[in-house]
Amino acid sequence: MKVAILSESPADEAALRILVRAVLGTPLEYVTPGLRARGWPSVAQILPAVIRHLHFSTKADGLVVVVDSDDTPVHTAAHDAPGYFHPQCRMCQLRAVFRQSVRRLPPAAGRHRVLRGVGVAVPAIEAWYLCGRDPTVSEEAWSAGLSESRPPYTRRELKERIYGTDRPNLALQTSHALKAVRAHSRDTRRIEYDFPGFAALAADLRTWAATADG
Amino acid sequence: MIASVAFHNFKALRSARLELAPFNLVIGPSGSGKTSLIEAVLRLQALSRRPAGDPAAIKTDRAMLEFRFRPPFDAIGVRIGCASDYTCDLLVVSPPDAPDWPRLKDAIGGLQAFALDHRSMAQPSRPESGEKLLPNGSNIAAVLASIAERAPAAFGELRDAFVRMLPEFRDIDFARVPEGGVTIELPLREHQDGERVGAQDLAQGTLFTLAMLAIAYDPDPPALVCVEEIDRGIHPRMLREIRDLFYRLSYPETCGARRRPTQVIATTHSPLMVDLFKDHPEEVVITQKHGSIAHFQKLADRPDVPELLREGSLGDIWMSGILGGVPEEAAFEEETGEDGPGTPGGEAPGRE
Repeated sequence: MKVAILSESPADEAALRILVRAVLGTPLEYVTPGLRARGWPSVAQILPAVIRHLHFSTKADGLVVVVDSDDTPVHTAAHDAPGYFHPQCRMCQLRAVFRQSVRRLPPAAGRHRVLRGVGVAVPAIEAWYLCGRDPTVSEEAWSAGLSESRPPYTRRELKERIYGTDRPNLALQTSHALKAVRAHSRDTRRIEYDFPGFAALAADLRTWAATADG
Repeated sequence: MIASVAFHNFKALRSARLELAPFNLVIGPSGSGKTSLIEAVLRLQALSRRPAGDPAAIKTDRAMLEFRFRPPFDAIGVRIGCASDYTCDLLVVSPPDAPDWPRLKDAIGGLQAFALDHRSMAQPSRPESGEKLLPNGSNIAAVLASIAERAPAAFGELRDAFVRMLPEFRDIDFARVPEGGVTIELPLREHQDGERVGAQDLAQGTLFTLAMLAIAYDPDPPALVCVEEIDRGIHPRMLREIRDLFYRLSYPETCGARRRPTQVIATTHSPLMVDLFKDHPEEVVITQKHGSIAHFQKLADRPDVPELLREGSLGDIWMSGILGGVPEEAAFEEETGEDGPGTPGGEAPGRE
């Protein structure tokens, strides 16, 4: 299976490769060079072009996109209701862009469409890296804090907790990210439980396996 | 090292003051004060080598610069008096008998400012010139060779960073030229038989990257480094690594180094570089020119920045003009669509 990853940095891509492989449970090929975006809203802006490129110019089976939620509303089960779309939820927005982008593309490279793998890290990917290491960090804790207008931590604090500084260099960021996600490489249940934004990505990825089997 | 600089009638900076952070990214249009800031620092360095002057000789109606410093030099103030916007030749220290002035003067004397020139950098340099990188980077080969010899551990880290940033190369090597100079040679990773790229054939961005590595991994870095156009010649995807190199100087503890921090003043015109500072607006300085008058604004002083960042990237927001720091544009007269006197049908005057 050939996978493309659209991320903000090589560190994020390295970590996502491990997590994606952990969910799919199979060796993967990757589209190179890695796809980069400049954070939100650049991801949503370039996503249609990325999907079109992957569809017509590569043999990618699927595209993984993960963004930080920052301070935007957290995706909830209510957003998954048929026909529902939350205009500020990044999960809803990315899924909508994906849906609209693949809708009109004719089959190419032996497949109908590039498969979707969308995740949202709440509030930032560093929270995923702290899963299992810092019990105060979870999507539920963040949502509860937001509802009381008292976020339990800032993105800067998350960086300090995982990297020991809020200005990590790329090498440090990559090594800490890889170390953190390797803890989930055999079993992703904990990170899926604590971070429904990751569970949504995992659910997308599992449909890929079903598509391939079918 | 420098806590603040105040400008009075200095070029376009008629009345401006800037608090400096450990790292400062200065953005703005040409002629808005970015280079003037660096020139002011260089003026301080040049005049600090002379004996301090008499405070009574400072003419407050002329151009003047005022510097304050960070601890342990926070009790010292320095004023530079200028005969004109361009001629500043008097430095006054307050208090005049400040016991720490000799130490501060030494620190000021060692500061470095760079405006790199890739053509000069591609030339061989004299091996004995390698103690400090020259402002245009022309002795880069000698400096790297000197670091390799004097501080092999630092050079090892520098080389590791280089081959990570530019993985087509597997090492940094040197060669002697017949005239006695030293030059850079970079062995290619895919040519284990020894094929190398000489300095003359290296890309501009590769030479700039080597220079910035030499600055960041200087075993004895200065108290302050100024770099013009830190993004020049660098691929946008590598800007993060360039920022990291200068953070290494400003925040040595973030890379496990135990040494004094080096303050950094860097300029850029790249919105992609600006993007990298969305979490640290206190490190971004916007220079703005209105007519012939320029001033500074710290991005962190804008209370709406967090809200703006929800709508777009910091670089795009800067480009839009919302934050200032963009060139003034020529005013175009709006066409009213009304016929002017004597121009029936709106035709140009005098046209038959």
